[in-house]
Amino acid sequence: MSDVMRAPYVLEYGYRRSTGPVIGQFLTALRDGRLVGGKTARGRVIVPPTEYDPETGDAVDELVPVGDAGVVTTWTWVAEPAPGQPLARPFAWALVKLDGADTAMLHAVDAGEPSRMKTGMRVRARFRAERSGTILDLEAFLPEQAS
Amino acid sequence: MNRCAVIGIGQTRHAAKRDDVSLAGLVREAALRALADAGLGFSDIDAVVIGKAPDTFEGVMMPELYLADALGAVGKPMMRVHTAGSVGGSTAIVAAHLVQAGVHKRVLTVAFEKQSESEAMWALSPKFPFQPPLLAGAGGYFAPLVRSYIRRSGAPPEVGIKVSVKDRKNALKNPYAHLLLPDISDEVVEKSPMLWDPIRYLETCPSSDGAAAMVLAAEDSLGGVTNPAWVLASEVRSEPTMFAGRDQVNPRAGRDCAKALYAGAGITEPRRQIDVAEVYVPFSWFEPMWMENLGFAPENEGWRLTLDGATSMTGDLPINPSGGVLSTNPIGASGMIRFAEAAMQVRGTAGAHQVDGAKIAMGHAYGGASQFFAMWLVGRDKP
Repeated sequence: MSDVMRAPYVLEYGYRRSTGPVIGQFLTALRDGRLVGGKTARGRVIVPPTEYDPETGDAVDELVPVGDAGVVTTWTWVAEPAPGQPLARPFAWALVKLDGADTAMLHAVDAGEPSRMKTGMRVRARFRAERSGTILDLEAFLPEQAS
Repeated sequence: MNRCAVIGIGQTRHAAKRDDVSLAGLVREAALRALADAGLGFSDIDAVVIGKAPDTFEGVMMPELYLADALGAVGKPMMRVHTAGSVGGSTAIVAAHLVQAGVHKRVLTVAFEKQSESEAMWALSPKFPFQPPLLAGAGGYFAPLVRSYIRRSGAPPEVGIKVSVKDRKNALKNPYAHLLLPDISDEVVEKSPMLWDPIRYLETCPSSDGAAAMVLAAEDSLGGVTNPAWVLASEVRSEPTMFAGRDQVNPRAGRDCAKALYAGAGITEPRRQIDVAEVYVPFSWFEPMWMENLGFAPENEGWRLTLDGATSMTGDLPINPSGGVLSTNPIGASGMIRFAEAAMQVRGTAGAHQVDGAKIAMGHAYGGASQFFAMWLVGRDKP
């Protein structure tokens, strides 16, 4: 098989993104250490906000503050974090429904060990000291009461 | 086959950078304008057909999935069309087929490109191992074809400059056009830098962010629209990038496509019977080349139409009253803009760039290495 021709092929492009008015406000709020959701015409609060109501397609123009704490609706434990994941130590991926929100958002819970994770538990956001307007400005959620 | 008509048309404000909107916001802007033009809302639409150029351009894979909310497509049939630069045209044709086949009554069709977020230049120039590179971007590929055309036809060198000045002047009358150069002249074009000999900077299209949308409807679903553009005929053809004996200057797929298109609409003398055409001209010399490919001029004579002024707004066959791709190029949308502008001409809604009394108009798009073709003819009068 020594005569099989091989050649390296690396393809890289530098893409850019315009976030638009809705996602842009969500990211700006994160940079300021705040969380906001999009309020639909039917009164549902979606976090993170979407530009258009997933049910009706109507524009979601109104952004409202939501709490920085909420309830874990489901979770899974990451015993061996991969490079690039939010935390280098074991953590939980969880869906967190923030206070005042009608949908849950995916983020990391820094619980230390899986025995401290429970569906229905309350968690609170921990923001980084230096923020740049990305979802990782919210470093992770922490269990609200040490048990 | 059921009759199909264009009852709503919308375009975005085209610009080099639409930083104010996301991809979703961009397609939404065009879609809402098309719906408003038709006097309809998303709830009146049965299905959505969307097109754009390769996913590698913006790096969003299968963007139609994420754009469903923005296009009111949740719970409805939605499909994506992909035929490189001709995609805006073939997307509209797929939408028309759905109406003509009786599958749907009203179809929203949308095409877009957001070049400010994209890497079109380099996405078109990957250096695959063991394959000849296509060189730098579209211009690098097409310049040798233009040189071949000039050699074959004996066209004088000023033809490309004339096309550029004509289209750039036309663009000044189009409120949606991207590139507006009020001081354009032969001299300004001639003195612009030579990018890919013989294609000068001002003989090339810009990179644009933009989207176009249309509402296509069955005869019994025109709503209150009294000036629909009737689809008289539509065709797509394609051919491989490379095969022995391929004529890339005057590709067979384009000739066959036009021939079938005319036959479908009962056109026997295209130059005389067609009043105006929006033809995909991203580099100036493609106007004379496509005039021949489309049968508007005999082989090697297309450049005479340009020099004689036949393709100007006051000529007998105005080409690209909108300013064309030379003035606005959101790649995936460019073909649909051609199709939509043709429809605007026969609806009498083209405003300052209206060709008086246009009854039959052509929309044309090509893509890839001059290998994908999409064309339609629209008419003021019901066929």
